[in-house]
Amino acid sequence: MLYDLNIAWSPATSRADLERTLKFSSTLGYDVVALNHTITPPIPPQITNPLPKFTNAPDTIPTSSTTRTATTSNASLPTVLHRATLLFADPSRNHGLPQLASAYDLLAIRPTTSDAFEKACVSITEASLISLDLTTKQPFHFRPKPCMAAISRGVRFEVCYAQVLSPGADARARAVFIGNVAQLVRATRGRGIVVSSEARKVLGLRAPADVVNLLNVWGLSTDKAREGLGALARGVVVNEGIRRSGFRGVVDVVGVAERGEADMAAGDKSKDGGGVGGNRKRKNGDGDGEPPQMSKRQAKKMKAALRQKEAAEKTQDKDTAMET
Amino acid sequence: MVRIKERYLLVNILYPSEIGSRPDIPDVVVINQPTTDELTPVALMRGIRAEVAAFFGDHGSGAIEGAAFSVKYSSPATSTFIIRTSRASYRYVWTALTFMDIVPVKHGKPCTFQVVHVSGTIRKAEEEAIRRARNLIFAAQNGQSQRSADPLANMFGSSKRPTHEGAGADRFDVDDEESDVEMGEVSDG
Repeated sequence: MLYDLNIAWSPATSRADLERTLKFSSTLGYDVVALNHTITPPIPPQITNPLPKFTNAPDTIPTSSTTRTATTSNASLPTVLHRATLLFADPSRNHGLPQLASAYDLLAIRPTTSDAFEKACVSITEASLISLDLTTKQPFHFRPKPCMAAISRGVRFEVCYAQVLSPGADARARAVFIGNVAQLVRATRGRGIVVSSEARKVLGLRAPADVVNLLNVWGLSTDKAREGLGALARGVVVNEGIRRSGFRGVVDVVGVAERGEADMAAGDKSKDGGGVGGNRKRKNGDGDGEPPQMSKRQAKKMKAALRQKEAAEKTQDKDTAMET
Repeated sequence: MVRIKERYLLVNILYPSEIGSRPDIPDVVVINQPTTDELTPVALMRGIRAEVAAFFGDHGSGAIEGAAFSVKYSSPATSTFIIRTSRASYRYVWTALTFMDIVPVKHGKPCTFQVVHVSGTIRKAEEEAIRRARNLIFAAQNGQSQRSADPLANMFGSSKRPTHEGAGADRFDVDDEESDVEMGEVSDG
């Protein structure tokens, strides 16, 4: 399974262009791609997801099982996920993040200042990718300490190769990009780097093997680069999926068990007895067909009352006997 | 006797920017359409040299110049060619190919160059080219897109990794583990 977690999308992108890109990425061998919507702060109060939906995109949460079925059923398009990238300059204003995360399948942040970068590495929990524009000189160094802290928290760094392949990138931008990649690889020792394209046009895409070679030339070893296309990217997708569907990212409802025959019979019986209510849910469990369910405490109370009554009767009997 | 070690790159030219423009032809055929006959081996080498010079400067140019850099086979009809370089400098050539986005002729069409196989002998590169051409024909007949089961297998060895089922365009990818890079390094010399 190969992943490309960043295909640039903007409201100006036409659907035909996008379909072309998706078809080509499927031809090149990518199984899962994510359309990326870059958001500049401030985050709007009403967040809607403008990204176009594709027929075989799983509307539900992208757990591993759903993505697999989608790719085998239709080979011409890869599985399409929706991702938002937030430009992040001021670390004190990040209160819209949870809402943003819930509107998209993936959330990445692109810190542009030193403070924002530190914060993104160390403390922001909503985003699982740190995506940087590596063609510009960053106003901070990639120090190993925050970078490794980020990776041990499960946050991944993203290297987008189409930034340097696009015709807009001149010699200076390419040099800065390569320098930044080298710094990033040094700071993280090559761990936790996810490779994606950020292709604006179909010509920005490259085959996976070409990408691996490119990163090898830039200093990331072959097996790490392969991991960045496959296993690490998959980890990001699955983690984000379970964070959205499961309970605190720990417990997930995979499926509901089938009802047994005995349960079915009981259910039918109670429905028959319900009569007037039809298929509406009965409240408090006090149906008119069967005896009401009794709680333990109530049963105890009733038992106690019964015993008292019996005792009272006995004493009365004794009294009458004494009198006679 | 010390042998000079080489790498043979099998390269496909793909035309992705025309997908969807012709609804009567399947996408596979559009992507793998023939290249113009103006793309002679000389023009191709000139283009690659220029790109290596732009990206690696004099150092890169020198590295591929000293090696026996040449185009061994070129077939514009199938948009396929095989390049020979020395083992030390094949990554320069590969990177240059990745960075090229037009056919290196006058008024060249936009395209991408995909290195589909790297091997130590030209025989394996040739076998792979034949295999790919066959699969392409099958894929075009079926009208489905051509997908290899494991796109990275050819380059970096597929023997140890479990191959996943599905996308059954070609099943033959699994059995070519003897022709990859690592194998060439061990067996040569």
